[in-house]
Amino acid sequence: MTSRGIWLAVAVATAGLGCGNLPDYASEGRAGVLDGTGPRRSVANQPVGPVPGPGDIAPLANPLDGDPTARMEGFHLFNQFNCAGCHGGRGGGGMGPSLRDPAWLYGGTPDRIFASITQGRGQGMPAWGTRIPEKQIWELTAYIQSFRTPDEPEPPR
Amino acid sequence: MNLTRISLPLALALAGGCSRASSSPPKLETERTGAVTDLGGQLPGIHLVSPLPNGDWRLPAGDYANTRFSPLKQLTPNNVSNLHVVTTVSTGVARGHEGQPLVVNDTMYIVTPYPNNLIAIDLTKPSGAVKFVYQPHPDPRAQGIACCDVVNRGASYADGKIVYNLLDATTVAVDANTGQEIWRTRVGDIDVGETTTMAALIVKDKVIVGNSGGELGVRGWLTALDLKTGKEVWRGYNTGPDKDVLIGPEFHAFYQKDRAPNQGTSTWPSDQWRLGGGTVWGWVSYDPELDLIYYGTGNPGVWNPDLRPGDNKWSCAIIARRPDDGHVVWAYQLVPHDHHDYDEIMENILVDMDWKGQPKRKLLIHPGRTGFVYVLDRSTGELLAADKYVESTNWATGYDFKTGLPHQVPEKKTGMGRVVQDICPSSTGAKDFIPSAFSPLTGLVYIPAHNTCMDYEGIAANYIAGTPYLGADVKMYPGPGGYQGELIAWDPVRGRKVWGIRDAALPVYSGVLATAGNLVFYGTMEGFFRAVDARTGTILYQFHTGSGIVGDPITYMGADGKQYVAIYSGVGGWMGAVAYPFISADDTHAGLGVVGAMKDIKKYTAPGGAVYLFSL
Repeated sequence: MTSRGIWLAVAVATAGLGCGNLPDYASEGRAGVLDGTGPRRSVANQPVGPVPGPGDIAPLANPLDGDPTARMEGFHLFNQFNCAGCHGGRGGGGMGPSLRDPAWLYGGTPDRIFASITQGRGQGMPAWGTRIPEKQIWELTAYIQSFRTPDEPEPPR
Repeated sequence: MNLTRISLPLALALAGGCSRASSSPPKLETERTGAVTDLGGQLPGIHLVSPLPNGDWRLPAGDYANTRFSPLKQLTPNNVSNLHVVTTVSTGVARGHEGQPLVVNDTMYIVTPYPNNLIAIDLTKPSGAVKFVYQPHPDPRAQGIACCDVVNRGASYADGKIVYNLLDATTVAVDANTGQEIWRTRVGDIDVGETTTMAALIVKDKVIVGNSGGELGVRGWLTALDLKTGKEVWRGYNTGPDKDVLIGPEFHAFYQKDRAPNQGTSTWPSDQWRLGGGTVWGWVSYDPELDLIYYGTGNPGVWNPDLRPGDNKWSCAIIARRPDDGHVVWAYQLVPHDHHDYDEIMENILVDMDWKGQPKRKLLIHPGRTGFVYVLDRSTGELLAADKYVESTNWATGYDFKTGLPHQVPEKKTGMGRVVQDICPSSTGAKDFIPSAFSPLTGLVYIPAHNTCMDYEGIAANYIAGTPYLGADVKMYPGPGGYQGELIAWDPVRGRKVWGIRDAALPVYSGVLATAGNLVFYGTMEGFFRAVDARTGTILYQFHTGSGIVGDPITYMGADGKQYVAIYSGVGGWMGAVAYPFISADDTHAGLGVVGAMKDIKKYTAPGGAVYLFSL
């Protein structure tokens, strides 16, 4: 199998896994999403060709997951790096969006939170990757993950 | 007689009255504006210093004096209950619609919040026909450094150009007929946290612009751009050495405390003035007779006062400058060494009135964020009165008129590591930038007021360019008395409230319009647009618009000879942003501490963005 074929196979497998939450158009007897007479099955999650890049790598877990000291450190860093000024004293938002709510513009998994902090985002989130050591970014991530959980240090009064 | 078509040679008359020769003759708008400075029925002893917006609405406040008063009087207390919505136009942006549209020659000009599109509406056609949309595409990163929503407070018109600021510290001039960009000038740097949200004011051949960013450690300034080319003519900083502030031989402060040289550096620790705030994000006034522009400056940076010992000049001050060269003629710091984030960028209303036996004294009326209405002599900067207009105000008991200093309450001073409770008003003020109106028929100032208090703790602050520079943990909540907003009719001479309309749940966050029909118009954060009897405070008409109102009403004469009133509906701004889904009401520290006072707003309104036009 060519490398191209491998990527395609992985992509199809991924698409299959990812379909879990989507409506199953085929079993409902409804048309696909392209047009009224098209494929009998949803094409929404089917690859259109080889997927570029490294393909599907399992998301990185937070190496500091479950560490209360890391969460507390994250709380302090959240103020020290002025995250609180934009995202609210306890992450409820302001100049930047809330990090306490279920909505995530760029993904709410630990690796996506880490990426947003590291790379920045286009509407004004600075790229902190060159200014904050990796461990501290994971500590910030651990703190952000703890919002609205019993593990949240210093919840809003 | 059609008042809207009158054009008197008023500009010439005013030029002749100038106290100082200027390099270029004043070019005040006279066509369809400027016809009226003397009304039938106005109180004796009142003299209006700027032509009124008689038919069109060409400047942010309608006139240069920031009265927000219109001589139109088709709408009266007798007929205003018949008002109805003529049309609405969506701006396509569901963010805070502060400021107001302009109306020039039967065209309405709307500046949206970021992305700061300019929408021109043909008012001669039904249903809000769009003539053009100018899209300036400001830098999207500016959204993330705008402290208090991605707002814009409006445009000015002169010489065929609509001139306004973009969020990314840029000023543009657009051809009012074609929508083509004429010039575009970068006036600040978003990488250090500068944005521009204020309404640029065109004075003679110059465009006056100031910066925002007092929460990000920027250095405040006011600049003048050439109206023809957009090139910078002068820039006066509000901190730093006198040569930067443009303090020279003409400078004479009324109070001893404000007279020493180079106070823009000497009243700060080391180089803190470089991050010292004193921004200009509110309103600029102009007196064509004295040839002076007036504006207020914002809070000093950083919020924690212990990190900046000294008076911190020229933050929280009112400054008078020459429009031609920017030189400061006088300055008065309302609050030295601010402890509470009381920006004083509020409107300065210019009017000549009889004052305690002195005829037609040249007054400047400044309803302050501090909870005091300040009345100054605008020729000299002398403080004539400072009266509390919101009862809960407790950070100071009054002012010493010999020294110009407030009598501060020591227990309400904030500092490092101390949680000071029950400070009134909160940082958002007894009013914010939202502008008052003045009626020469009643002699009253109509003030949109808040009753909000706070706990304030000074904490450490790290300066990282382009990020918030606060050093304070603030939590706000509604003040005592069971209400949080009030439209107040204020007698500036007697220093007392004449009437008030209270709003239980939310602050009044809309500007005010007064008309010669003896009406006052304003909106509520819940979304009601209201017409009120200017003398009694009786609500005569209200209509529930689609979203909370944080904009300013205007009035104009339509091509059909009917008087119209227009208002933005679109909740937002510092306090109103709590209505957005991306701000969580369970964090009382969110939104720079404002969520605690505003957590109920989601029950009352939701984001929107439209202009509503009303007529009989």
